[in-house]
Amino acid sequence: MSLNSLEREAVAEAPNPLGMDGIEFVEFATSKPQVLGALLEAMGFRQVARHRSREVTLFRQGTMNLVVNAQPVDLPRIGRPAAQSSISAIGIRVRDAQAAIDRAVELGAWAAPPRARAMELNIPAMHGVGDSLIYFIDRHDEFSIYSIDFLPIPDVDPKPPAIAGLAYFGVVQYVGFGRSGDWIEFYRRLFGFSPVPDTVRFGIMPKGVLLRSPCGKFWLQLVEPEGNAQFAPSDEHLNRVGLGTPDVMAAVRTLQKRGIDFIATSLVHTSERGALTVASAGGVMFELVHANAP
Amino acid sequence: MNFGLFGLDSATLAGTLEARLAAARRAGFVHVMISASDVVNHPAGIDTAIESIRASGLRVTGLEALRDFEGLTGKMHEYKVDVAKSMLELCARIGGRILVTHASTSAHADSSLEHVARDLAKLAFLAMPLDIRIALKGFPWSRTVRGFSGATEVLAIANCQNLGLAVDSFDIITAGTPLDELDLVPRDQIFLAQLSDFMVQEIRLPGERDVTARHFRVFPGEGAHGDALVALITRLEDNGYSGDYSFDVYNSDYLEMPADVIAGRGRIAADWLGEMVLRRTLEVPNMKRLHAAG
Repeated sequence: MSLNSLEREAVAEAPNPLGMDGIEFVEFATSKPQVLGALLEAMGFRQVARHRSREVTLFRQGTMNLVVNAQPVDLPRIGRPAAQSSISAIGIRVRDAQAAIDRAVELGAWAAPPRARAMELNIPAMHGVGDSLIYFIDRHDEFSIYSIDFLPIPDVDPKPPAIAGLAYFGVVQYVGFGRSGDWIEFYRRLFGFSPVPDTVRFGIMPKGVLLRSPCGKFWLQLVEPEGNAQFAPSDEHLNRVGLGTPDVMAAVRTLQKRGIDFIATSLVHTSERGALTVASAGGVMFELVHANAP
Repeated sequence: MNFGLFGLDSATLAGTLEARLAAARRAGFVHVMISASDVVNHPAGIDTAIESIRASGLRVTGLEALRDFEGLTGKMHEYKVDVAKSMLELCARIGGRILVTHASTSAHADSSLEHVARDLAKLAFLAMPLDIRIALKGFPWSRTVRGFSGATEVLAIANCQNLGLAVDSFDIITAGTPLDELDLVPRDQIFLAQLSDFMVQEIRLPGERDVTARHFRVFPGEGAHGDALVALITRLEDNGYSGDYSFDVYNSDYLEMPADVIAGRGRIAADWLGEMVLRRTLEVPNMKRLHAAG
């Protein structure tokens, strides 16, 4: 057995093999950046920087970084119509980004070709569900990955405060019928995510399997189709971002004043546990979840 | 009756891909095993081949075959990973859910259990996001996976739910493998059963097996081993096998006869097995949908 394989065995057994430490950013791909930008502004995000050479914008709210990518080449090629907006990537904070991508590829992940051009920061990435990518980001506490490729927008607060303490809580991933087991394995082997018992629930959307990140800062919810939807062609993708807040009702009140509509049906409606926004800007939804501030 | 469980292998028939698919369809088959060469060697290009398969109305049993993947190191391993990725993408594009993978016969392959299991786990991980299962086919002359007990051990160490076995009647009969060995394999880890018969009673000379395997296989019921085939299928069914049966009949004479004639012979074999051998309960049309709706 080579030294290399010994190392692989060693890291595979660690509860947090990549040293995961939450989410650095979420990226949306859209062909309607202005419509999506308006929705994000209403949700409390502020446009703080633009990419030096591409149609890519950085939004921020509290601790949350959100990248809007309108580069035609980066839009999803298959699946949902291009007029929609979709979650196209998640940037995960890790101890060592190069070691993380190397380990992922060794496990059998599909490495994504680098997007960086000359003088741009090359962030290692792999393919996730559907058309989405997973980026690995290290040294996030030492310097900002945005300072190299992005130009700050003048006279804008680079660190706008969060509405009602909103912070990234998790992402809901739609999976094919009978596919939860596969994806649990995927996130377990790659990052050390682990499923929690059905008795542990957050928010008002109780369906699916809940996975806890090894760092305890991020949740994934896997949702399989129900009823007749299970016979439809499988369209696996990241469906929506979950935002945690210690006070859901206060967050909802503020967001409603800013023009955000929330779903209010007999099955799904705002409560102290959570709330769900009405889809807008080409299918974008946010889920609010009661969570104590980190 | 259970005719629909049996599928043809495109490599059994002569003619263009479209003519072979049409012949299978006319004979009443509902699924067909596709060889990667059918797609990549198509005179009008890969996209046309994929379109022909998707438009044929036939379900794809799987794609065959990835060979000599596991047990390699360095550049040879990297090369094989690229081959595997290409085949997995092809498999996904034709709508296949199974990639048939032949256990390595390469003299360069390391046969250590840990190495073989690690590589196969990597292959399964590569296949997972595409919703493809790896059906590993062991051979008595393989360097890495021979009998069922060895295969079961490899599967246990790799520990991937989308990694399982393809059982080939030809290999079992020619090697004289006791059917009791099938009991070693967990029921949900046999993904595919390939069926063929051959004329000669016994293979005695070295090399004779190879020639027979490649050129003189016939459909079940046409050769000298009908009883052994019946025993194999009965054992598989008793053990709870619920996957497809595919006729992997490689016969030089069949490739000089009209595809419709050969597909018709396949139909006779399927009728015989479906009516006389299989006792699997027929699925009521739309039963799953009715359950879901209820």
